Amino acid sequence: MTRRKHKRAQPSLKAVWRVNIDDHPIGLAWSPDGKRLAIAGVSGPITLFDSADGAVQRVLRGHALDTMAISWHKDSRLLASVGQDGKARLWDAETGTQTSEMSGGASWVERVAFSPVGDWLVSAAGRKLRLWNSSGELIREYPDANSTITDIKWRYDGVQFAISAYNGVVLYDPAEPEPLRRFEWQGSTLTLEWSPDGKYIATGDQDSTVHFWIADTGKDLQMWGYETKVLELAWSFSSRYLATGGGTQVVIWDCSGAGPANTRPIMLEGHQHLIKHLKFQRQGMLLASGGNDGLLAIWKVKKKKTALLADAVFKAPIANLAWSPDDRCIAVSDESGTLSVAAIQ
Amino acid sequence: MNTAESRVPVTVLTGFLGSGKTTLLNRILTENHGKKIAVIENEFGEVGIDNDLVIGAEEEIFEMNNGCICCTVRGDLIRILGHLMKRRDKFDYIMIETTGMADPGPVAQTFYVDDDMQQKLHLDAIVTLVDAKHIWEHIDDSDEAKEQVAFADVILLNKIDLVAPGDLERLEARIKSMNSMAKIYRSRDAVVEMDKILNVGGFDLERALEIDPKFMEPEYPFEWSGIYQLNAGTYKWMMGDGPDPAMGAALLPLANMGLAAQEATLMDAVLTFSEDEQALVAGEMMRLGKGQYNQLVLNENGETVFNVAIEQPGYYQLFTEHHPDEFDACLRGADSVPDPLKTREYKPDHEHDEEVSSVGITIPGDLQLEKLNGWLSQLLREQGQDIFRMKGVLSVRGWDKRFVFQAVHMLFDGSPDRPWGAERRQNKMIFIGRNLDRDALENGFRECLAS
Repeated sequence: MTRRKHKRAQPSLKAVWRVNIDDHPIGLAWSPDGKRLAIAGVSGPITLFDSADGAVQRVLRGHALDTMAISWHKDSRLLASVGQDGKARLWDAETGTQTSEMSGGASWVERVAFSPVGDWLVSAAGRKLRLWNSSGELIREYPDANSTITDIKWRYDGVQFAISAYNGVVLYDPAEPEPLRRFEWQGSTLTLEWSPDGKYIATGDQDSTVHFWIADTGKDLQMWGYETKVLELAWSFSSRYLATGGGTQVVIWDCSGAGPANTRPIMLEGHQHLIKHLKFQRQGMLLASGGNDGLLAIWKVKKKKTALLADAVFKAPIANLAWSPDDRCIAVSDESGTLSVAAIQ
Repeated sequence: MNTAESRVPVTVLTGFLGSGKTTLLNRILTENHGKKIAVIENEFGEVGIDNDLVIGAEEEIFEMNNGCICCTVRGDLIRILGHLMKRRDKFDYIMIETTGMADPGPVAQTFYVDDDMQQKLHLDAIVTLVDAKHIWEHIDDSDEAKEQVAFADVILLNKIDLVAPGDLERLEARIKSMNSMAKIYRSRDAVVEMDKILNVGGFDLERALEIDPKFMEPEYPFEWSGIYQLNAGTYKWMMGDGPDPAMGAALLPLANMGLAAQEATLMDAVLTFSEDEQALVAGEMMRLGKGQYNQLVLNENGETVFNVAIEQPGYYQLFTEHHPDEFDACLRGADSVPDPLKTREYKPDHEHDEEVSSVGITIPGDLQLEKLNGWLSQLLREQGQDIFRMKGVLSVRGWDKRFVFQAVHMLFDGSPDRPWGAERRQNKMIFIGRNLDRDALENGFRECLAS
């Protein structure tokens, strides 16, 4: 692995607004139309901000015993949340009212994901996997997973979704009760990301590995040598680059040509502590990284020379990062409850 | 490595079903100790009790690195604790209850293997509840029971009201032979002061060494010796029935009563006991001198008499495999019963032929860090599965502070603590595990000294 030093760039992050929610932030999600920003606090409430000026629009009750995840419906009106009260809930962002309350199947409902296309919602509570529609009707309950489900991600076209758990990844077609395919790994898979073209499923694992599963064939490439477990994965929109954390350096794999096997990744230095979040722009080549050191760094990723474009230091570890749908702004939360929206210039 | 102070202490509570874990937990949750405690139990929903919190766990064991038991961790704990640490209402303590049959290893290892856990939490102590009455049903043949005792920092002998005092002594001795570093407390109805089990601070190595002074002594192949002043003539060594049908013995001349002479004879006795034994039956003459290892075979019933012929008057030291009291044995002259001038008891080789045992080593001097790292990593690679716990206070060359560490299987957590100051620099280490080879451990450790 090569290491590259980066000169400190001129700051080009301009704060648009900044608030503090006085809680440890859990989820952070822009509505697909970019008008709202939803953030959940660990103690339960979910706040909806006007993304233009940071005005509080609604405070949703959330979950009495800790909210754990949120997800927007494609229409930008419904927001799904799950929490430790064993429930999945649907909220109307316009009125702030709860439209549905569903039972997740176990006491901690940890994951929820609306389909980017269509009307499906998937929730996971422990080993329980349930498929709903946006009216809160249960479409299907799947047989229990092998182990607690750690992540759910939809393919770009909504035709498939994948879950991760101990033992790897399972692919589903929401129209079918049986899994399509299993990608097995004797280890605890913590998170997964589809490449935007649907060709790869990347996973981060407790045993400090990153896997590239080729979705069509089930072929597995394993990347070893990470400092710690890998929870941070981000694909560039072109599906060429996968940025990974699992340490203090951002490691970027190039999947063009013959793929990332036996290639040297791009390594980015700058974080003093573990990187906790990585997000690529939706349509651009800027990569945001956030770490336990409170550092937010914006990188412009290029094969020949990746440059640090901007950085900012928050007073607490970065809790979440989210690019606006138009890629012009990034929302950043830190563990002290700061929520900041900054424009890239 | 983090300073322990900034991390929330975690107590792991183990013990078989019926040992009193639930009673103890209820006591902790209801007692007015002014602390906020989160308890993670099996088969429980999330319940808030005043300040405290009880959370259910699913006991989900992850194997890491393709199935090595030393790296298995509890995935449910990583998730639950990770989430708990995000809450604004910080907890003073976290207690994790394991099921009766659980191996405490994966629970303890979770705090070493996962970076998020290590940053925010530290394993304070493993507390094992032992049902003083019923433990005998498990301790000989249950690996889980042995491991729960072996892993413990604190052992609570509970239900002592159901056990005779003699049995309790026997149990405590047995437990100490398996795990010499644990603090042992006795209780009924799981009544114990909270500061005995919470925030113990883990570091009880020096205390562990104080408890049993014999613990640090070398082990000997004999249990007893007696020094006699004998005249020329014939003596009889009389033995009654005993626990074994035979007993090893060596009779060696002692130059004088000085300590140097006694030390030399002791070494001769150790060498003698490593020789091939020579069986002796009733009426035969006990062989005298270095290298003469007698195996005294008893009659099936009643007294057995062996003859001893002394040519040179002087001091003699008799070494016996077992304590003579166990056989009502004594030495008799033609017309007298000579009392030994001095007797000594030795820590036996293996008190119960235990497969789980402790080995404590103390070596003065400074260690060379690279050698120590090399030795420990090789040791743990080869025997990591059998070494349950290690603790040490080490003197590392070039460091003015003591280095203290503890390990669970091959996972290691250590940091410098206070300066040595005027204290004598030395290295103390305890291993607890299965099939430990004391000599190999001691030699390996000694090799790490800075030359």
